Parts: sequence; C-alpha cells; structure tokens
Amino acid sequence: MVPAVILLTILFPWTGALLVSITGDSRPRLQHFLAVLFSAVSGAFAIVLLLNTLPVWEGIVPAWVATDPYFSIPLGGAFGNVSFMADGLGVYLAAIAAVIGSLAILFSVDYMRGEKQLGRYYAYILLFIGAMTGLVLTTNMLFLFFFWEITALCSYVLISFNNDDPKAVAGGIKALIVTQLGGVGLLLGALLAYTVLGTYEIGVFIEKAPLAIPAFGLSIAAFGFLVAAAAKSAQFPFQTWLPDAMEAPTPVSALIHAATMVNAGVYLLARFFPAFEGVPGWKEAVIAVGVITALLAAFMALVATDLKRVLAYSTVSQLGYMVYGIGAGGIFASQVHLLSHSVFKALLFLGAGAVIHSIATRDMREMGGLGKKMPFTQIAFIIGALALAGIPPLNGFWSKELVLESGLVDGPRTAYYLMLFGAGLTAVYTFRMVAMVFFGKPRSEQHGHDAGLAMKISLGLLALGACATWLFTGRFGALLAGTLPLHSIHFLGVKELALELFTAKATYLALAVVALGLLIGWQRERLTGLVSLLRIPAGWARDSFGFEWINRRISAAVRGSAGGLSHTQTGQLNWNIAGILLGLVILLILMALGS
Amino acid sequence: MTITIPLLLIALPLAGSPLAYLAGRAARSPFLARWTARLILLMTWIPWILLMRESQTAHTVNPFFTLQDLTLSIDGLSLLISGVTLALATLVAFYSGAYIKGEEGEEKYYALLLSLTGAIIGLGCAVDLLNLWLWFEAMTVSTLFLVAFYRKEQASLEAGVKYLVQSAAGSALILLGIALVFGTTGTLSLPDLPGILANNPNKLVLMASGALFITGFGIKAALVPLHTWLPDAHAQAPSGISAMLSGVVIEAGLIALLRVLLPLAFLSGIWGPILLGAGALNMLLGNLLALRQTQVKRMLAFSSLAHIGYMLLGIGAAMAFLQPAAMSGAFFHLITHMLMKGLAFLAVGALLHALFLSRGHHAHLTVADLNGAATRYPLAAGCLATALLALGGLPPLAGFMSKWQIFLGAAQTLNPWILGLVVFAALNSVLSLAYYAPVVNAMYRKEPSDAVREGNPVAFSMAAPLAVMAILVILLGVVPTLAAPLSTAAADVFAALGVTNGMVP
Amino acid sequence: MILDPLILVTAGVCLLAGVGLYGLLASRNLIKLIVAMQILTKAAVLALVAAGAASGRINLSQSLAITVIVVDTVVAAVGLALGVQVRKRFGSLDAANLASLRR
Repeated sequence: MVPAVILLTILFPWTGALLVSITGDSRPRLQHFLAVLFSAVSGAFAIVLLLNTLPVWEGIVPAWVATDPYFSIPLGGAFGNVSFMADGLGVYLAAIAAVIGSLAILFSVDYMRGEKQLGRYYAYILLFIGAMTGLVLTTNMLFLFFFWEITALCSYVLISFNNDDPKAVAGGIKALIVTQLGGVGLLLGALLAYTVLGTYEIGVFIEKAPLAIPAFGLSIAAFGFLVAAAAKSAQFPFQTWLPDAMEAPTPVSALIHAATMVNAGVYLLARFFPAFEGVPGWKEAVIAVGVITALLAAFMALVATDLKRVLAYSTVSQLGYMVYGIGAGGIFASQVHLLSHSVFKALLFLGAGAVIHSIATRDMREMGGLGKKMPFTQIAFIIGALALAGIPPLNGFWSKELVLESGLVDGPRTAYYLMLFGAGLTAVYTFRMVAMVFFGKPRSEQHGHDAGLAMKISLGLLALGACATWLFTGRFGALLAGTLPLHSIHFLGVKELALELFTAKATYLALAVVALGLLIGWQRERLTGLVSLLRIPAGWARDSFGFEWINRRISAAVRGSAGGLSHTQTGQLNWNIAGILLGLVILLILMALGS
Repeated sequence: MTITIPLLLIALPLAGSPLAYLAGRAARSPFLARWTARLILLMTWIPWILLMRESQTAHTVNPFFTLQDLTLSIDGLSLLISGVTLALATLVAFYSGAYIKGEEGEEKYYALLLSLTGAIIGLGCAVDLLNLWLWFEAMTVSTLFLVAFYRKEQASLEAGVKYLVQSAAGSALILLGIALVFGTTGTLSLPDLPGILANNPNKLVLMASGALFITGFGIKAALVPLHTWLPDAHAQAPSGISAMLSGVVIEAGLIALLRVLLPLAFLSGIWGPILLGAGALNMLLGNLLALRQTQVKRMLAFSSLAHIGYMLLGIGAAMAFLQPAAMSGAFFHLITHMLMKGLAFLAVGALLHALFLSRGHHAHLTVADLNGAATRYPLAAGCLATALLALGGLPPLAGFMSKWQIFLGAAQTLNPWILGLVVFAALNSVLSLAYYAPVVNAMYRKEPSDAVREGNPVAFSMAAPLAVMAILVILLGVVPTLAAPLSTAAADVFAALGVTNGMVP
Repeated sequence: MILDPLILVTAGVCLLAGVGLYGLLASRNLIKLIVAMQILTKAAVLALVAAGAASGRINLSQSLAITVIVVDTVVAAVGLALGVQVRKRFGSLDAANLASLRR
C-alpha cells in the first residue's frame, strides 16, 4: 500500500496542476475548487503515510527500516532507479508540505479572489507540493536533485507571479539564480557519489561514503552539499534572495519561503549528516554558517519596516538556528525546531497576508492599531509571534530550547552565547513587529476588515498547531530514531523533556534573555541612548551588511563583460574570415606543439 | 541487409525534392508542393524505422554502398543524425504550411527542405572522406537558399552572403585536409585509416590535416571563434529553417567532425583536450553574448553556441578518457537540443508570424514585443516558456536530464580538470537562466504589448507541431531512457572503435 | 639541383591558398570575394591531384578533382546569384554595406 500512497501524494497535486491549467482562467471558481480539492486529498495521503509509521512511534521497528529503498522504478542507464522510502525524516516533512500546502491554498481562495492568471498560480503551487513531497521521500540522489530544482522553478514562477512589477521579476530571477548556483554543489556531490559508488541510493551513500570515497572527494561532496543547503535555505552568504522573494503573493511566502522549500537545505544537511560528520572542518563550518546567519538576519529584522521582510529575515535567522543545531550534532533538536518553525511561521505569514489583504500595504509604518479592526487575525498572529520569541508553552519555546541545549552540550561555547544573544534579538524584533502592526494609534487612513472565512480556517488550524505540536515531540523522536539507525538520534519524551528543561539553569538563562529582549522591544522608544549608540550598525543592517552590494557588483561585472564581448561580433565579413584564420592558426600551433 | 532500405532512406527525400518543386510549379499552387514534401517525409520514416529495428538486433556497421574507397554505411551515428533530422524536418514541413503561405517561392522552400534532409541523412551515412565532403556541400547549398529565403530583405541577403563565404572557406579547408590525408595514407576510407595510421611517418602532416578538419567542419558546427555566421543566419532565416539550422545542421557539422576525428585519435591524444577547450569557449561566449540580446531569435542563436559547448564537453571528455558514457550523454543532448531549440524557434516563429509577418511586416521580434503574449497566445507562449526553461536545464524537462548525463559521463573520468569543467558548465547553465527567464517573465505579464494586442491568431497547423514537441520535451525529462536506444547506439560506434583498436587515450 | 615536382606543386598549393585566403580577408567587393573563394578551392583541387600522385592513386584523385570542380562551380553559381540579388537590393556589391547584423 505504501508505494501507492507515496506515488499518490506526489502525483495527485500534479494531476491537480494539470487540471487547473486545462480549466482555463475563465472559470476561476472551478479553479479554486480543484486546487483545494487536490491539495486536500494530497494532504490526506501524506497523513496516511505518517500514520503508517505509528508502530515506530510506539517503539516497534518494522522490517522495512533498513537502508533498502521502500520501492523503486528502474529507469536504467545513467539514471538509476526512481526510489522512494517513507522513513521518519521523509514522512513528517511530506506531511508538512502537503498539509500546510493545502492550508495555504485554502487561504488563497480568499486572498487571490479576483486575480488574473489564477491557473498559473494554482498549477505551480500544486506542482510545488508534489515536488516537495518527492524531494523528501526519494532516496535517489539524482531525483533528489530533480525535485530540488523543480521546487526552485516553482519558487521562481510564483515569486514573479505579478510579472508586471519589475521588483517581482527581479526577485524571482534572483531566487532562481542563487539557488541554482548552490545547486551546483549538490550536483557535484551527487556526480562524485555515483561515480565512486555506482548508485544514487542515499542509504548506500551514507553507509559507505566515509570509507569508500577518498577523503578529498568526500570533502568536496560535504562542502558542496553545504553550499547547496546554504543557498536553498537562504544561509550566509546566500541569504539575500529570500527577502527579495517577498514580492510573491503571501500564501506562497507562507508555504514556500517559510514552511517548506527553505527547509530543504536543512533537510539535506540532516539527511546526510552521518556521511559527512567525520569530514574535518565540516561540522565547524556548518555551525559557523548557522551562527553568522542567525545573527545577521536578526539584526536586519530589527531595522526592516516592511512586514513581510521582517518575517523573511526572521525565517532566515530561525533557519540559522536549525543549521546550527545540525552542526552541533542535534539532528533531533533541529528537526523539532523545523517542525515548530514551519507551523508558527506559516501562521505568521498568513496572518500578515490577512493584514496586507485588508489594508493593501506592507509598510509597518503605515499600520498600527489594527487589533481593533481584525481581532481574530490579531490573536492568531500573537500566538505565532510568541512561539517565534520562544515563550512557553508554545512550540517555539520547546524546540528553541532543544537547539540551544544541544549547542551547549556538543557545540563550542562561544557559538552558544551568540545564539543566546540571537534569541534575545528575536524577542526584540518580534515585539516591535507586533506592536507596530496591531497596537498603538493608526498611523494612516485604513479601511481594515478582518480575515474571510477560508482565511480564518487556515489561521485557526495553524494557531492550534503552534500551541500543540510540541506535545508530539517524544513520539516524533521515536519515529526519527527508529527509522534512521545511522543518525544515532537521542530523543526525549515530553515528560522527560519538560523535567530536563525546567531543571536546567540554561533554560532560565535563555528565558531571561528573551524576557529582556521583550522588555527592550517594549521600551524601545525610551531607550534613546541605546538606539543612538546602535545607529551605525543599524545602517549596516539596512544595507544588508554589504551583501546586496556584492550581488550588484557581480551582476554588473558579468553584464559588463558581456557588453564588451559583444564587440567581437563585428558583422563585417572580413573580420569573420579573420576569426576563422585565427582559429586555424591556433590549432596548427597546438598541433605543432602536441606532436 | 538488403541494399534497398538504406538507399531509400537517402533517396526518398532527394528524389522527392525535385518532385515537390515540379508539383508546385505544374499545379501553379504551393498546395501540391507542400503535401508532396509532407508525404515524402512521412514515407521516409518507414526505412528509418526498419533500419532502427534491425540495428537493435545486430550491432554491426553495415556498408550498403561501396565503390573503391567510397562507402556509405548505416551505424549508430547515422541512425542518430538521420532520426533527429527526419523528426525535425517532418514537424517543420507541417509547421511551415501556414508560416510560408503566400511568400514568393514556396515550392522551392519545400524542395530545399527535402534536399536538406536527404543531404544530412547522406552525411550521416558517409564513412569516407569524399562522401563526407560531398554531402556536406549538398547540405550547405540547400541551406543557403533557405537562409536567404526572404530575398527582398536586405538582412536576409546579408546573412546569406556571410553564410556562403564562410561555408565555402570551410569547405576548401576540409578539401586541403582531405588532400593531406589522401597524400600520406593513400586512402579515403575512414574505417581503413586506423590501421594505416599506426606507424605512419608523416605524423605532423596528419595532425595538420586534423587542424584543417576541425576548422572546416567547426565552421558549420559553430566552434568559437568560427561561429560568426551563425547568429545572422539563425536570426534571419524563416523560423522553420532557424529550427533546422540550430537543431540539426550545426549538429551535422559536429557529427562529420567526429567521423574524421575518431580515426585520427589513433594518432594522438590531442583531440579530446582541444574539443574540451573549444567547448568551454563556446559555453562562455555563447551565454555571455546571449545575455544582452533583445532580439529573441538572435538570443536563441547565441544560446546554440553554448549548447554546442555542452555537447563538446561530453564528446571531448569521451575522447580524452575513452569514456563512452560521456559520449552518449552528448548524443542525448543532441536529441534533446533538437527538440528544445526546435521548439523554441518554432514557438518564437509562431509568435513572430502572428504579430508581424502575417500583417506583412518584416520585423525583429524583441523581448518587449512578447510582453503579455500568454494572454492571447497561451499555447505558443506556454511552449516557448517550456522550451526556454528546458534549455536552461530545469526539470522536469528534457534539458535537465541530458545535461545531467553529460556531466555524469564527464565526472566518471574522475579527472580534476574535467570536474572543474563540469562545474564551469553547470555555472554556465545557471548563467543562461539570466536570459531565458526574463523572456518567460515578459510573456506572462498581464498587460499585453501593442503588438500582441493587434496580432493575428496562430494557425492550428503551426500550433500542433508545437504541442507535439512540448509534450516530447516533458516526456524525455521524466523518462529520459526513451532516447537511450538512439544515443547509446551512436556512442557504441565510438566505444567499438576504441575497444577493438586500443585507441591512444 | 633537380626540383622534385611534388615540392613545386606543394608550393603552388600554398601560394594559391595564400592568395585565396588573403583575398577573403582583404577584399570588400562581393565578386572579388567569390573569386578568392574559387582560388582557395582550386588550391585544394591542386592539392588533391598532387596527393593522388604522391600516394600512387592518380585515377581516384582525378575523379575526385573533377567532382570537386563540378560541385564548386555550383557553389560559385549560387554565390553569383546571391550577388545579383545583393546588387539589386543594396545598389552596390560592397561587402562593407553588409554589416547591419552585429553585436
């Protein structure tokens, strides 16, 4: 049954994508309906997959938990087998993609009402859901890359959905090119793996790579994968694409750029961790990437004024926490944080979407006092914000503490303190954001209205998730540990976890930092001394610490050299002949040298 | 094997060529010429399929015509290039019906399309130097008229002149190369060459002949810096012919080059590195020059340079390290490039025809003209977007899989230089998205440009071939092994030669 | 000193090819370009005949040369036809006018 369900989870949304495009933009109601239907069914299939692993939750490890793929379709030749396996890491990420995907689509029914080219919108979201599920379920590196790139394609199309806006076009192309650049690292690693091992199977790779692949080759693969993961998860030094991706319709930001695709990098690192942990310098590099990203992005979130960009920086920063967790060996902690983050960040984005839909601006300086007009959205958003800041008992608290704890135990102490500082920053910007949007006096004329019914359902379900997913932490850990024998996962049940966290000093330290952060966020208007002291670094943060400048320079250099080279195409026949003679002469010289 | 089937494969389109012309002339209407061409091309599939089935059972080279040194034979390479040519020519014959309608010299167009097809099939079967040159010239002459088809347009005459002069220079260089080989070895037959070359004292002369061949055939295959005719010819020809030029003709140059270089590989190991270097140059220059183009057809023309570069990476890695996997990757890319670039040119052509040509206006189609094209031409715009994204190497489209196979084959050499080149090629592929993607974005704008708003509809006979090719591009992206019989059979020719003769790596 | 005829012929080939290539490189008149093309090809024909003599297969090389000449004449005719059209549309045969397609 499982192979069929896996295929259906992937192919159902793809069929939906096809049907939505065939339907045509003249029948938007049918398009909405088809999209919701197909994504919901796919979500149901993903949940069936998750439930199928129930025995593992109870501690029984079935026979299929081995490195063998669950099932495969042979393609032959250089393409290997298309193989899939429903192990712990795969099924829960598939469930996140399909379930949050269907909620985002449900939200879109209200959000995208009346938009043109709905077919393209829904088709690519559905294509994305299928690809994301495939990405986490496949055990073939070629098809991992295949799905990886399809998600990039969907992301590009959806970011620049509004093609009439040059910013949206630029953001889409930037996202595509940056993630593709990173993809080269994944490509190289996968090519080397196949060349040495003769198979694309991830299980075989994890088991044999440390011994079978020469140290240098393994390093190339390890760091190649890190580059790919950093580009996909918007980590240092590739973080600049994600804020620019915020030109996408908000449900897309919630789904692709907060809850699912950007996690693919974290997933990649977690999946391949056992193969690479022995590579010298790799874990340290992962930790460094995580820490630098988490702090840089938190600073930028502190000074941004565009609501969605604040959320984007916050996503980048939280992804930094996950990457840091993996570098410290805390696969379990990072995956729990990934789960929490997917839920509360999707909630925050959809809440922001409701606000933007209502008052048609993203600038927080024009918001304020919206709580009275949109009470439902306000509550949902605040639940998400508290989870982001790490306030108990919401899911963000548990997972962030887990990450910090694994960093404290296994990682360098400096990194731990920096991340603790980052947690404080998170609290500051979260408070600032909530205060600017929902509280205080309205700063401009607004005709706000609360979310529609479809929006409310999505928001409500996600808010419920943000309150409750931590209850499953223990079972989730059992699932991971049971199906990923090579990852040597240590996990705790909810009770032990609570006991451990609430008896550890570090937890109270972290909570104190968060509380201090909230306090600073609350009193930020009065702390003029602190604010003026930080004026210069704030300026750097607004300039994205120079990374945008670097991007622009690289782009200008490429375009400049292209412009220069175009002079070689003179259009003069005699010059063309000269080119031919030049070629001939070079070849003759090479022959004389080579013989 | 009987001699008739392979002869039919060449003779049908060649004999059909004057037939189509005369039919068009006699009936004073292009209708008859059009359908003669279409039927002849469809009929030519019969011998091709028969030969393909035969080759599945017996993996041998089958000479079906010999006269002294002159030999025509059917092997994997000939099946590959003839299959690819037939496929594109058939689609173009149906597509061109509406595109060429009303132009002066319609019957010539179909006659020359047929002779071009026949010439390339003949070139694929040629395994001696004279035949290779003869069919190569036949191909050049057929395409020349087609490039300069709009002979009232200055730009297309200019492109024709450049094409003629540079091709002629190339063909003279090839002849000089042939003379050097013939003079030192006394044979024109390529299969006989390896044995003779083994202990030939005139190594330097033979190497010089190799340089002449690379230059001569390289002009047609558009190796940088011999490529300068290509953007002009591709951009000015009628779109069906642009598709043929980019999808088949330059690849035919590559196949011809490969035919002569494979025996010469017994002389020296220099050819592989040279092809790799040329590939790197082609990728870089092609992509950079395409980056700033605003004319869509010219941009596609420059991107062909880059794609020849990817193929050269596979072929060069294969020749330098005896790695047939890289060769079959290159041949797979040859197939997918025919589909992708063919589709791109035909889709651009459909839009160009709808927006300008059908309204009697010979203009260049710029990216800005395509603004909002999807609102009125969803199929043509969708097909163009599919083709462009496939060329950029995005899954689930064919270009992703064929580039992957080239990269994998090259990586299997495990040579650090080649691995570096693979990374270079992959980065180039990313760079190419910087010019493919904006075209896609432009087409999906909501506000159509004036040209789009005033354009005529696209005829069904033009839309249908587009749809067929788009489906194939997606199909090969999901099930890449469908093309394997063709690409591996062609690579087997190389592998067999290397294994049986202990080629110098 | 007795000159080997082969060396003489080789020198002739080089000379013709040089003249042809120089012509292609330096002339701007379309007719001159076609003439240069012809000279270059004739160098190749001469080389083919010489190659036949050198390898002792003079029969084959002569039929080769004749074939090449025939084909080459076709190409020249095509070129001249194109020249007629160019003269008609551009009003001159100057190849420098044929440089609108660039960059």
